[in-house]
Amino acid sequence: MKEIDARGLSCPAPVLQTKAAIEREGVESLLVVVDNAAAQQNVQRFMESKGYMTTLAQEGPDYRITGRAAAPGAKTPVSAPAPVREAPRSEHQKIVILCATDRLGYGDDALGQKLMINFIKTLKEMGPDLWQLVFVNNGVKLAIDGSPVLDDLKAYEKEGLTILVCGTCLDHFDLLDRKQVGTTTNMLDIVTAMQLADKTITI
Amino acid sequence: MLVGLGRADDAGVYRVSDTLALIQTVDFFTPIVDDPYWFGQIAAANALSDVYAMGGIPKTALNLVAFPGKSMDLGVLRQIIQGGIDKLREAGVVLIGGHSVEDSEIKYGLAVTGYVHPGKIRTKGGLHAGDRLVLTKPLGTGIVNTAIKAGLADPRTVDQVTRLMAALNRAAADVMSGYRVHACTDITGFGFIGHLAEMVARTEIGVRIDAGRVPILPEALTFAAMGLIPAGAYKNRAFREEMVRIAPGVDRAVADVLYDPQTSGGLLIGVHPSDAEALAAALADNGVDAAAIVGEVVAQPRGQIDIV
Repeated sequence: MKEIDARGLSCPAPVLQTKAAIEREGVESLLVVVDNAAAQQNVQRFMESKGYMTTLAQEGPDYRITGRAAAPGAKTPVSAPAPVREAPRSEHQKIVILCATDRLGYGDDALGQKLMINFIKTLKEMGPDLWQLVFVNNGVKLAIDGSPVLDDLKAYEKEGLTILVCGTCLDHFDLLDRKQVGTTTNMLDIVTAMQLADKTITI
Repeated sequence: MLVGLGRADDAGVYRVSDTLALIQTVDFFTPIVDDPYWFGQIAAANALSDVYAMGGIPKTALNLVAFPGKSMDLGVLRQIIQGGIDKLREAGVVLIGGHSVEDSEIKYGLAVTGYVHPGKIRTKGGLHAGDRLVLTKPLGTGIVNTAIKAGLADPRTVDQVTRLMAALNRAAADVMSGYRVHACTDITGFGFIGHLAEMVARTEIGVRIDAGRVPILPEALTFAAMGLIPAGAYKNRAFREEMVRIAPGVDRAVADVLYDPQTSGGLLIGVHPSDAEALAAALADNGVDAAAIVGEVVAQPRGQIDIV
């Protein structure tokens, strides 16, 4: 079991260490030790928001929080509205698609738009190897209302695909209020996803 | 002296004549946002808020500055002070001096003096059973600031919460002066429940809060569920828990936000029941968009805060 010693740290540092272990390393069980009640409750809340079952033990000034990933299909222990990022699925490849445009290729724009619709619809053939779909620059226009692939993207997201949409880009085009699918993200998340991916495809 | 240390209120009040009383208050803190200009604005809005909460009009201010001048660019300090000055100007307040000391950590705030008619002072006491409670800014800045510190908030959220903290309570105070307001305070470090507790502790009344009507930053609920809750919120809860009863149907994240320490929060106004709707509507008409009637004052159980 992975162990994190977060004693001496105040919020939000213990949560961030727990987050890194769960999201980046995909650990199924972990022990986090903290030495203040606020950190203890925050770490427990975080694990529960990620679908982990938690147990708490107190030893002197230390709180020992154990978390185990719930069995597949098990009910999440709390009704947390937090966006749950899929833990990496080790049996599959992790492919990130970075989509920086709303049309595929150069030349004829009308053709490019048609091709992009077809591309998004056909992505499902990648199956579980497709791990994250990241929209930046003009690509964010595929994730807003009126997008011809909005329904397809919503269906992918429902099936567990992580869709990230660049917040700076939405803001630049003044589209923040019109985003309909995916999680608004920042460059750090995008770069981290690329680093963890087995393969990044740029469109 | 009309209001002093004996009953902890937002500011001290001293009567000069039958028609004039002075309100004096001081507040300063360490940076809560990275941008020095916005930090200056927020610190000033926060210091002025205590005067507005007492029903007064701020007039003059003095800067209080602690700054590591030997190791940090003085341009940072200039931006902080410029932020403060611009916010004071927006409030119609004159900066008449200040004092600075060398310190390893930046701190900025102001001492503010204002006027009020001695008969129009709004304190934390004075709620009557039946009064409605109106809150003028959404809650959740402490939790969102914790998420910002963790690098988990997107730029839009950072911008939104910064503007919220820098917004003056001036319009809210102006509007409330036209209605039968029995009590008022501003929501700061003790959180919504902490300030409510000050209004009902050792009184003959209690309050019932409709959790579903309390304005809350939506991001704060998401971050609360992720455990990005500042230690101050847990302290606030430990301190006031015994006075509070939270109905089982209230979402845990909502309860967390009700204890969340606020920076430069909104006004919490106790108003005569027949004026409540009109006050809420007038607030909305004057740019206080988040204003909402969030609960009412009850005769029983006294000294208690019921969250339903």
